[in-house]
Amino acid sequence: MLEINNLHAEIAGNAILKGLSLTVNAGEVHAIMGPNGAGKSTLGYVLGGRPGYEVTEGSVSFDGADLLELEPHERAAAGLFLGFQYPVEIPGISNVQFLRESLNAQRKGRGEAPLSGAEFLKLARAQADALGMDHDMLKRPVNVGFSGGEKKRNEMVQMGILSPRLAILDETDSGLDIDALRTVGDGINRILRAPDKAVILITHYQRLLEYVRPDFVHVLADGRITRTGGPELALELEAQGYGALAA
Amino acid sequence: MSITLPTRRDEAWRWADLDTLSAARTTPRAEIGDAADHFLDLDGPRLVFVDGAFDAARSDPRRVRVQAIAAETAHPLGMHAAGTGWSLDLDASEAETCIQIAHLGSGGESHVPATLTLGRDAVASVVESYAGSGWANRLTRIRLAEGARLMRSVRLVQSAGFVSLREEAEIGQAASLVSIFLGAGGMGSRIDGELVVTGDGGFAEMGGALLTRGEQRQECAVAVRHAALDGSSMQLWRAVAADRSAASLAARVEVARGAQKTDGEQSLRGLLLDRTATVNLKPELEIFADDVKCAHGATVGELDRAAMFYLQSRGLPEGVAKALLTRAFVADAIDRIGEEPVRAAFLADAEAWLAEALA
Ligand SMILES: Nc1ncnc2c1ncn2[C@@H]1O[C@H](COP(=O)(O)OP(=O)(O)OP(=O)(O)O)[C@@H](O)[C@H]1O
Ligand SMILES: [Mg+2]
Repeated sequence: MLEINNLHAEIAGNAILKGLSLTVNAGEVHAIMGPNGAGKSTLGYVLGGRPGYEVTEGSVSFDGADLLELEPHERAAAGLFLGFQYPVEIPGISNVQFLRESLNAQRKGRGEAPLSGAEFLKLARAQADALGMDHDMLKRPVNVGFSGGEKKRNEMVQMGILSPRLAILDETDSGLDIDALRTVGDGINRILRAPDKAVILITHYQRLLEYVRPDFVHVLADGRITRTGGPELALELEAQGYGALAA
Repeated sequence: MSITLPTRRDEAWRWADLDTLSAARTTPRAEIGDAADHFLDLDGPRLVFVDGAFDAARSDPRRVRVQAIAAETAHPLGMHAAGTGWSLDLDASEAETCIQIAHLGSGGESHVPATLTLGRDAVASVVESYAGSGWANRLTRIRLAEGARLMRSVRLVQSAGFVSLREEAEIGQAASLVSIFLGAGGMGSRIDGELVVTGDGGFAEMGGALLTRGEQRQECAVAVRHAALDGSSMQLWRAVAADRSAASLAARVEVARGAQKTDGEQSLRGLLLDRTATVNLKPELEIFADDVKCAHGATVGELDRAAMFYLQSRGLPEGVAKALLTRAFVADAIDRIGEEPVRAAFLADAEAWLAEALA
């Protein structure tokens, strides 16, 4: 499904990703862990197509197509979803308006008919219910004044509405309380645990991985994947830290 | 008509697009479109002025009177707006809402004066639309007695030419004036205002959004003067400039000696859609009283890149994401309009402008 090969990327002339390779097949859950500043979020942004993140070498294919050739919105329409580590506040645009326009833009890109206001609202409410988000928050401006945990929950509601095939979730678990962590974990399983879907979880903690069992755990350090293992690797890292690993 | 225009050497006119104004004066007149296009579906008096002349056949003025009005002002453009215009006089506690005035220009210059005089606790609302081309020059004088309330919504959607508006208001005790302007056409413009709060506890608001593209230039030059106790005022202006256009916002709050407890708020913000565009801001505060609260902010920037990427990453094409963010920016100003259908119509005009500018 996703094939990243020897990816090098820089921001403002600074090399951040330095030969990263990773293959994700449909039906798999991958966890990426790694020290602060290693380049985890950068990987997410590069896959999402954020301007200013320049790929200098390597390739990324998504379902056989060259992902790096696509505009950010085309990547979304192709089924890619990026859960932000720091979801952006957007005053003056309501959650519902933003998501309905987004979903319909994606549908248009795929040659599907747009959803009416009523159809969309039904879908949005169902997703909000499933993730324990108040319906009132759907009407509020995107993320404005949301608490840290509410923002992360909102990311998951968006993911539920947009129903992607591959999600890269950047520290979606940080900032969530214990109950919310379970709700979000259940949500990820419900939305993405399917034979034709896949998810990359970027996380610092083992906890989320108890709800969403990864097939692979990778360590990303200094811009590349330095180690890959099964779920036990996450436990080992939690016990010993990255320092011991490098030694 | 022989008119001596101000020159850009005058500090107050340095951003004015007087060349476009001059050129608009001599454009030949042509056929005019349907006035109905410019009326919202609201029940109320309707007046149509075509090239400055009242069009009785297409109007239903009800209690708005069409009559000769003198141009009692020293304003260099407003002073030429004498002749036949329109007047609304309301006695105490009377109400006349949803008055609509359509100004259609086909070319050349037109000058129309207006007066709005509201008695104690009277209420009125007016929606004005400027469409077509040519130079439309207007003077509007407003007097609000104690407790009177007036809401004015003015949209400038001429495809070409120039619109110059001069508004002068006296706001009495606990009276309220809200005047909101939208410049979303292809014309040049100059919105000039002087609101004086003469009674204690009066409220004065003048604001709006100016959207410019191509080589277009629009500007406002407005002042609120607080001459009484406990007054409050709001000046919220948004400017959006694309291509090589320029939008300029000059807004002043003056608080006279003795106008204690005045609360004057001013927010001027510009958004550049292209690096080649210009937004000029000139916020001014002149305070001669000691116990006043005046919050003010003036900023110019580009669209927030993080927000742009966030929207795009959810599937919105770049142009749509830009339009959404810009619309939200403009809506700050248009949301000041109290009447929902008017607000919706003005937002739709802004959206139509955005769709073209970002296409
Ligand atoms: N705009 C930028 N200009 C220069 N350097 C940047 C910029 N953005 C990020 N970096 C650098 O890129 C490196 C990788 O950052 P990134 O956000 O990908 O780390 P991360 O692995 O997600 O860390 P964390 O665990 O703290 O979220 C960091 O050293 C960071 O300082
Ligand atoms: Mg990060």
